[in-house]
This record gives sequence, structure tokens and C-alpha cells, in this order.
Amino acid sequence: MADFDAQIRKSQEQVAEAQSRISSITSRVEAARARISEGGPEIDIENATLQDVHEHTELMNANIAELIMGLDDVTAAFSRDFDEMRNKTGMERLVGFFARGKAESMRQERMRTASIDDKLQDLIGKSDVIVKLLQGQLDMLNDQKARVEGNLTSTLTEREDTVAGLESLRAEIQAMDPKIIELENRIAVEQDAAARTRLETELAELNTRHNAMVQDEQVRLAKSQTLERYIEKGKTWVDSLQNQAATQMVLINKLRTDTNQRVVLYDALSKSLKTAQQQDVAHRINEIGVQTDKEAQAAMAAIGTATNQRMAEMMEAHEDHMVFARKVLEQKARADERFARRFAAIVEKHDSNLYGQ
Amino acid sequence: MPHTTLAQDHEELYDPLAARRYFAKFDRITGHLPRVAGMLESDRLLARHELRALAAYVATLGRTFRALSLKYLMTGRTAGPLPGRMAFDRHESGFPVFRELLFMANDAQNAAQHLPGLPSEQELKDQMIRQILGELSVPTRLQFSLSQRLYYEALGAGGLFWARNDPLFLWLGEDGGRRRWFLHWAVYDSQTNLPVIYLMELEDTGRTPLPRDSRRWPQVQAHLMSQSLAGLKLVTVATGFDKDFDDLHPKVLKRLHLGPMYSASFTLQSGPLGKVLAEAAAPEGEDWALAWTLEELEASDTVTERTGWFGSTERQVFALDPFGQHGPETGATRTRRMVILPKRPYQVLADRAPPGFAQVRKFVVGAGGQVVSYRQ
Repeated sequence: MADFDAQIRKSQEQVAEAQSRISSITSRVEAARARISEGGPEIDIENATLQDVHEHTELMNANIAELIMGLDDVTAAFSRDFDEMRNKTGMERLVGFFARGKAESMRQERMRTASIDDKLQDLIGKSDVIVKLLQGQLDMLNDQKARVEGNLTSTLTEREDTVAGLESLRAEIQAMDPKIIELENRIAVEQDAAARTRLETELAELNTRHNAMVQDEQVRLAKSQTLERYIEKGKTWVDSLQNQAATQMVLINKLRTDTNQRVVLYDALSKSLKTAQQQDVAHRINEIGVQTDKEAQAAMAAIGTATNQRMAEMMEAHEDHMVFARKVLEQKARADERFARRFAAIVEKHDSNLYGQ
Repeated sequence: MPHTTLAQDHEELYDPLAARRYFAKFDRITGHLPRVAGMLESDRLLARHELRALAAYVATLGRTFRALSLKYLMTGRTAGPLPGRMAFDRHESGFPVFRELLFMANDAQNAAQHLPGLPSEQELKDQMIRQILGELSVPTRLQFSLSQRLYYEALGAGGLFWARNDPLFLWLGEDGGRRRWFLHWAVYDSQTNLPVIYLMELEDTGRTPLPRDSRRWPQVQAHLMSQSLAGLKLVTVATGFDKDFDDLHPKVLKRLHLGPMYSASFTLQSGPLGKVLAEAAAPEGEDWALAWTLEELEASDTVTERTGWFGSTERQVFALDPFGQHGPETGATRTRRMVILPKRPYQVLADRAPPGFAQVRKFVVGAGGQVVSYRQ
């Protein structure tokens, strides 16, 4: 089936592209982390890039789902086989017009050589190709997730350290304030020029230290902010990787169960048809045959509708899931923005307090 | 999906220890089979050439189980859905389900592509040691890669029992201008999930010898393979073959079902054997019983039947079980049942003597490969 092969190739390309995009984001996340440790300028991981990757993976998943449904072409070939087993061919009907017995024996000969084993093997081969494709993607996602998570954990500890350092620095700065005020007061009332000079030198030293500490605080504040932003982005990315992995798992499981069920069912159908057609007692053949036909038809119809329904449900669920994921992302972006705004206000207040004296 | 799932009896092995125990059990059982087959020959139930064919199939079956055990060696220890879990039929079979063999055939097709991409055994072991010593962690992923590599190597080495094993032939001699051939083939029956071996003796009145006849031989092969269903009676298979090939005359057709395997810890069984196994409470490795069924059909007479306007051909009349000893009509001349089991379950079986087991031939296997046969 050239169609199936072409579709497989298309999906493979898409998977490869999705993988390169995903790993480029992860390496960006990692580069950003490295840059923070070095203290260089920040690399921004924009939401737009994440969005882009999501759109692409969505497209890819839709394509793979289509591929899974494409297996229905293979299964349709099975039902053609079953029909052939049940019905007479044109030639047989023609012969049957003249000699009923001859037509029946022709049909029986045809039944004796009928076999669906090759088709079963084909079905298994095709579903295996798709499973391998999905598995590759899943492995890659898990790998990336582990990397980003490891990265995040170390970043979280670093941020804790930074915040703790910042707080102790602030406490020190606050503790310095009364000393400076006291010195200033003493200078204001000091009459002796020598003592006054000594006090002023002391004040100047204290001020220098104060300024240095304030500067240090600024640096740490900036670092903490950067780390915070990085963590937010990293978390979003881990979430998204998690979601994608879940989607892959759903697809793999679906394909697995379907293939297993199909193999058992088709095999049972073809063999029961064959057995019923050939077994010795003629009047029993008829009964069993008719019964089997009915059951086979009912079963085939059931497979068709159930598969389609489940596929549709899965796609809908997937859509919901993606919409949900996008909503979360948007909320996260808004929260980020709000956080940044609020944080800026605090910093400003903080600064003005210090310099207001 | 239909309401009654046909895969209801299919049980998956989740636990790595359970999976290993399952395969170890089969390894032990297949180790006993050649000697049991030898006993059949010394009792003249099977001819020497039939024994050879049977022994070859038993050996391939052992290799198939070993390959599957490599494939599922890391069951339950690696994350992710691959390679999945081994499914076996726990009701009236105890063997892996049919699709496992289909999956294996598919893997075998891809083995040649996979093997060059995988690191060699030496490299993997080297990496494992490095991980164990360097990172102080269990190299699960590397173990998995190695198990898959060994699995693909086993597939590449060949000589496995597949879902279908096409007919092979053996020249038996010539007899009054008729060539006599012995054909044997085997399938893994998808309905009962059991390996089934077919042995056929036939006479050939065709102009060219059958295996060299490029017209008949492929047809014969295809016909026999597609007729190898456990649901068909031997007489149906043989008469169908006789009818479709005018110059081939099947004289003897034997079918040997290698199973089911009963085990107190793995399978569900409702018959008396289940109670026997439960009561024996045998230690691990000895709580099993393997049933064999040998169906035989022999031609007793021939009639000449007209084909078309001028030709006529010979058709076989097959001898059917004259007394119908086994209740329903079996479509075979004789049906022999055998059960292979270790000492301890046998003692319980002899003690309880459940009805219906008097006619069953019992082969008791012990340590060191000794086999004792009991008729009662």
C-alpha cells in the first residue's frame, strides 16, 4: 500500500521535526540556565516558541491518529475476504445455474485454500511501524523531561540560596540604618573639630559599606528574579512535555489493544467460517454457517462502529486536552506578567525607602 | 468492540519474576520432550522418520521459547510500553498466545535492520560496568538493550518454530510404480494457542515427482497450510486433500497437539488434572503437566471415482474409529492421549485415579532426564 507508506514517511518527517524543535527548546532552556550561572545576559524563552512547538506536535499527533485510522483500509481488506468466504463468486453462480453440486464443490475448494494469515501478518507489521514511531517520540519526550527536571531542581535550590542571602543582606542593611543615623546625630552636635573629622571618616566608611551592600542587594535581587523567571518557564515546559508524553501513551495503548483484539477476532472469524463450511454433516453445516455469518456480521459491524467512536472520543479528548493546556499556558503567562509587575512595584518601593532618607 | 472479548483468557505476565519462572518452566518441559518422543518410537506409535520430524519441531519450539524469554527478560523493569508484556492463554493451553508468534515473525523481518544499529554485547557489558562503578546505579536500560540484542541475534540465527512452518518432504521409497512421500509441517494453532504437528504419508501417481513438480508442490503446500486448523477433523482435511489433488493419495495422516500445559500457579483448569495439581502442592518447577494428543487416520480402502467424461481417479476410504469410544465422533481412526508430568503430581494422580484417566498414557519425568511410562 503506497498510500500507507507515504503517510508513514510523512509522519516520520513530522516526528523528526517535532523532535528537533523540542530538543532545541530544551537546549535553550539549558543554555539559559548556563548563562544565569555565568551571570551573563539573560536568554529569553518566549511563549511564542513554546506555542509554535505545541502547534506542531498537535499537527503531528493528528497525523499519527490519521495513520491509526488508516489501518482501517487494511481491516477493510479483511471484511472483503470474509465476504468472499461467505458468498459465491460470479463463476460459481454461473456454474451453479447448470450444476448445483459442481458449484458447491468449487466453492468448497476455494474455501479450503483460503487463508488470512498473510493479511494478519501485514496488519501486525503496520501497527508495529506506528508503535515504533510513537515509542521513539515517547522516549525522546521522557528523556527531555528528565533533563529539564534535573535542571529545574538544581535551579530551585540555587534560588533558595539566593533568596536566603538576599534576606540576610537586607537585615544587615536595616541594622546599619540606626548606626548611620546615630553617627549623623553625633556629628551634628560635635563641637571638637578633630573628633568631628574622626566621626565623619567613620560615617564615610559606613556609607561606603552601606552603598556596597545596597549594590550587592541589587545584584542578588536581579539574579533571584532571573531565576524565578527561568523556573516558571522551565515548569511550563516540563508540563507541556508531560502532556505530550501522555498523548503518546494514549495512542500507543489504543493501537496495541486494537491490534490484539483484531488479530484474535479476524482469525476466529475466518477459521469459524472455514470450519463451518467444511465439517462433515451437511444439515449441521447450514445451521452453523448461517449462525456464524450472522455473528460475524454483527461482530464486524460492532468493531467498525466501536473503533470509530473510540477514535472520535480520543480525538475530542485530545482537543480538550490541548485547549486546556493552552489555557493553562495563557494563565501562566498572565500570572508571570502580574508577578513581574508586582515585583517591580516592590523593588521600587524598596529602593525609594532606601534612598528616601 | 464486541461484548464478549475473545481475548478474555489471555493473561499478561506483569511481574519480572513470574515471567522468568514461566520461561524456566517451559525450558525444563521442552528439555524432557525429546526423550518422551523417543519412548513413543520405541512403543511403535511413531516411525523413525516421524520421530526425527517431531524431534526437529520440539527443538525449534525450545529455541522459540528461549527467544521469547529474551524478548521479555526485562518485563516490568523498564519504563514505557515497549516491549510490553508476554500474553499467554491461561485456559486449556498455557502456551503464549498466537499473536506473540506473529509479533516475533515481524521482529525477525526487521532483525537485520536492527542488529547493525545496536551496540555489540561486549560494548554493552563494558558500559554496564562503567555505570555500576561510576554512577553506582543499576544499568536497567543497558540490560534492556542487551536483552533486545540477544533476542534479535536469536531471531537472526533462525531455526525457530513460527506461526506457520511450511511442509517439508522425505522420500520413503517406491512401491508398485507409486512414489511414497512423507510430508510434515506444523502450525501454531490460533484457536487453541497450541503448537500442532502434522505428519502425512502419501502415494504419488503423478508424472513428475511431487517436490520437483513446480505446478503441484506450491499448491500442495498452500493447501495443507490453509487447512491446518485444530477445528477441522482429520477426515475432513484428508478427504479435502484427496479431492483437490487427483494424483496424490493420502494414506496416513497424524496430528499431534503438543499441549495444553497445566500448572497450578499459571493456568486455570477445571478438569480433574487441576485438582491433582492443586493437591500435589509440588515445589516450584514440578507443578506442571503437559497433555499430548495424537490423532491418527489411516486409509483402509480405495474406490475409483469418475472425473469428468473420460478420466477416473482413486479416492481413499478412511477407517474411522469403529466403536466411537470417545463419545462424539472424532473423525480419526485412533486418538491417543498422553500426559507428561513430574513424579509428585503423578503420585497424586495414581492415588486419586480420576475417571477418564485410565486410558491415558502417563509419562513420568524425573531428575536427570529419566522417563518412565505407565499405562494405568
